[in-house]
Amino acid sequence: MSDAVIQVQNLTKRYRELTAVDHVNFEVQPGEILGFLGPNGAGKSTTMRMLTGCLPATEGTAKVCGFDVFEQPLEVKRKIGYLPENPPVYLDMKVRGYLKFVAELKGVPRKKLKDEVDRVAQAASVAHMMDRLIGNVSKGYKQRVGLAQALLGDPDVLVLDEPTVGLDPGQIIEVRNLIKSLAGKHTIILSTHILQEVKAICRKVLIISSGKVVAYDDLEALESKYKTADRVASLEEIFLTLTGEGSAALQPAAGAPVAHVA
Amino acid sequence: MRNILAFAKKELGLYFTTPLAWVMFALWTLIGSFFFLSLVSQYQQMSMIYGQFQNPQVMERMNFQDMVLLPLIVNMGVILVFLVPFLTMRLISEERKQKTMELLLSTPVTSTQIVLGKYFAAVALMFVAVALLLVYPLTLELGSTASAVDWPTVLSGLFGLFLLGCAFMAIGIFFSSITESQMVASLAALTTNLITWIVGWRAGDAEGAMKEVVTYLASTQHIVSFAKGNVDAKDLVYFLSVCVLGLFLTHRAVEAQRWA
Repeated sequence: MSDAVIQVQNLTKRYRELTAVDHVNFEVQPGEILGFLGPNGAGKSTTMRMLTGCLPATEGTAKVCGFDVFEQPLEVKRKIGYLPENPPVYLDMKVRGYLKFVAELKGVPRKKLKDEVDRVAQAASVAHMMDRLIGNVSKGYKQRVGLAQALLGDPDVLVLDEPTVGLDPGQIIEVRNLIKSLAGKHTIILSTHILQEVKAICRKVLIISSGKVVAYDDLEALESKYKTADRVASLEEIFLTLTGEGSAALQPAAGAPVAHVA
Repeated sequence: MRNILAFAKKELGLYFTTPLAWVMFALWTLIGSFFFLSLVSQYQQMSMIYGQFQNPQVMERMNFQDMVLLPLIVNMGVILVFLVPFLTMRLISEERKQKTMELLLSTPVTSTQIVLGKYFAAVALMFVAVALLLVYPLTLELGSTASAVDWPTVLSGLFGLFLLGCAFMAIGIFFSSITESQMVASLAALTTNLITWIVGWRAGDAEGAMKEVVTYLASTQHIVSFAKGNVDAKDLVYFLSVCVLGLFLTHRAVEAQRWA
């Protein structure tokens, strides 16, 4: 038994003929931030939804903090803060009311409820929006309310599905810094297709394509693995090569130096 | 329990911030007042006419309970057939449409808590709506010198109406749980409510065991005995079984989403 916080083994999701996620394996160590990359429709969100107990797996197991997601879902859900692809907000509720509601669901003790709501509002910079209807705030603020919701109850594990979508550049940097500051205390899985984001935040990356893991390594190790004779491969190039989306055809720098094809 | 309350509080809040609850109460009291006023004036005319004949048998039936309360409660029951689907259509379908179901599925709450919390909010609304009808007998009580109102009968009638509303709410929340479309949910619930109502109309044509069954299925029959002041176990069982069946099916539908 390793001491990994998240252990995923052979996780598979099939919809009739379509295999959305195909025998995915990975582990996340305590305090680590894992960058979860892949083109649209690669199975990122599906994997995250399975991990958070929103979706049952067809095959395989997933464990969070030692609890099996499918056997002990309630224990797992107490440990996880999840920001889905679409921020799960009620447009007819005020920000404060919404955060209070979610805090109740997450079992935040009554006495601490108000402080906890203020804390996450502060962290996600929505403190000045508390009395606005969620339906009336901009997309970026909805996203931040979604993020605030994930932070409620100070969960050990954060699963963030594209947390910076819809934010302006200033907000993106703010959210990135927030996520970085959470590392260490929290274990984080972060999906995105903004590659600079991964570079800015994560040390470890997992690239998934058509449901299969195509790379799972430290960022630096990955970069040096695909290093060519004349230069270091960028994450963009590695990503395009591995997901078979681009014309750039990098080869692993194993043994003899490989000719660089542009 | 805390989660159930959290859901109930949230849904009640939404009923009142989206003006749904206010619109419902306005419509409900408007229609109720119309029925009440016309029934009272009818009652007045009838007593004037039959009062001249002094026929004891007719005079026996010339009372508030039979002339006003019974028809009022039965009429308001018909209004519930149409009104309740609009109150329940949003309850669960909206969570799926707005993708907030993911939030509920990823937090440590059970399907039972989701369903009960939402149902209790709907029931609380129903309770207030029925309680509003107390205004009518109250005006008669306060406006007349001799008390014409038999309060136990009034309360049992309103209780029957409340139970009918709860049963319709359970039917409505079920249809809301199986579709993303509020329109489909409300139409399906309305149709079902209507069927439980009109099935009784044909009871007179049926014979034997069939008649018994049809009569028992019709929600009309059950509310009438409440309005007459008889709280019968048979009627209680009828309404409670509809509630339990509706909530059970809703629970299954919500639970099924976790395994889809």
